[in-house]
Amino acid sequence: MSDRYIPVQWNANKWLYDGVLLIACAAYILVFLRLGAPAADLTRPVDGAILRMRAFGSCAFFMLSVILCIGPLARLDRRFLPLLYNRRHFGVITALVALTHAVYVLNWYYAFSPTDPMVALLGANTSYGQILGFPFETLGIVALLILAVLAATSHDFWLSFLGPPLWKALHLLIYLAYGCVVAHVALGYLQDSKNPAFALLFGLSALAVAGLHLAAWAKAPRKSRGSGEWIAVAAPHEIADGRAKILPMPDGKRAAVFRDGDRIGALSNACAHQNGPLGEGRVIDGCVTCPWHGFQYRLEDGCSPPPFTEKVPTYNLRLRDGVIEIATKPNAPGTPATPLQIAEAAHV
Amino acid sequence: METAERLLAIGQGYLWIGLVVAAVFLAWGIDRVEAKAQGAWIFRPLLLPGAVLIWPLVLWRWLRVERGNACPQAPYRPPLTAQRLFSMIVIFACPAILMGALLLRQDGPLERPAVQLAAPQEGQAHE
Repeated sequence: MSDRYIPVQWNANKWLYDGVLLIACAAYILVFLRLGAPAADLTRPVDGAILRMRAFGSCAFFMLSVILCIGPLARLDRRFLPLLYNRRHFGVITALVALTHAVYVLNWYYAFSPTDPMVALLGANTSYGQILGFPFETLGIVALLILAVLAATSHDFWLSFLGPPLWKALHLLIYLAYGCVVAHVALGYLQDSKNPAFALLFGLSALAVAGLHLAAWAKAPRKSRGSGEWIAVAAPHEIADGRAKILPMPDGKRAAVFRDGDRIGALSNACAHQNGPLGEGRVIDGCVTCPWHGFQYRLEDGCSPPPFTEKVPTYNLRLRDGVIEIATKPNAPGTPATPLQIAEAAHV
Repeated sequence: METAERLLAIGQGYLWIGLVVAAVFLAWGIDRVEAKAQGAWIFRPLLLPGAVLIWPLVLWRWLRVERGNACPQAPYRPPLTAQRLFSMIVIFACPAILMGALLLRQDGPLERPAVQLAAPQEGQAHE
């Protein structure tokens, strides 16, 4: 959180995250370059430039696969949340690795004729009507353009200026980019490769991404259990101290009902920063803390503590027969909603 | 090749317009639409690539904020509905594409004899 924009909000965790990421990338590329030549088909030796473009291309594919696994992994198991914390830097580095792959391709396959390399790239193969021999390069270009847009709009300013729904919609294009990358690899490299190891690795990566998304999808709450003005949540003691119970609401939104000691309050489950799941976070020093990037909101009014200005909607709560009930209609962001006192519950 | 040249010219035109929009927005407009950006200059060069790439969105949002049409409730709409739809791409389409492409390989599991493709006609070669 910051009350004024700065280029990058570095801290020790981000340095560590980025350091590990860069070291892992460099190690992968070095190992690929070292082992790639012997692993290639010996009857058709591979040039150094081709080896380098494959090293960066496959690295970008695996990085993109990991990025897409982080979201569902964090939903399935809280221990993966630290991976999510700096995922945007992961995305920017992936875009740069993919760009390096593209530069190697342009400077090798399209650099030795009088035709402009970009024109040659787009015009050399226009057989869009067939599957085998499909111009898979175009799929790579589409994916690279999407990754470039996502990387270029990853700063918090864009999130605030475009608004979370639009920013999030824009960044959902990562799924399209991944589909294009998979098709790019499937119709390109995998059509020619004589080495089954990479076909297996690509397949396993895509299956891991698919399987984890399916598992997270199955775990997500489906529909609201009630209607009308109030719906039942749980008995106060059923909510762990400092944690929340997430409820799908009749209007399609989600509410998070938190317990902080003897206080119980309810906020929108969507963080105002990046729509992170507030209900999967904790109450720290009286503030609900988003598990994704640590944005905080007061339980009593959904406002971030000064000097920060973020707000989320609150929900009114009441107790009926020892059960917490939540109003189905949210209050405007930042509206005070007095938390229930658990001690009250014993007397109702 | 003509189509490729035309596409590239359109792309270059788009980026040039983007550069102009980005320069005006980052030098002047950003202070009008974002309180946290006022007086903060060092981070602006970092926004340049984004502003160039998505300049139509920048203009649209800028106009909305200037006219006071920005919806205060918009940030709290649930984001997950579309995400589920998009995740279908990775759940179903990606494995299907990979498996399909491997099956279609000329020396793959469904081995088929190699086909000699016809040489392109004179006219087609320059398209």
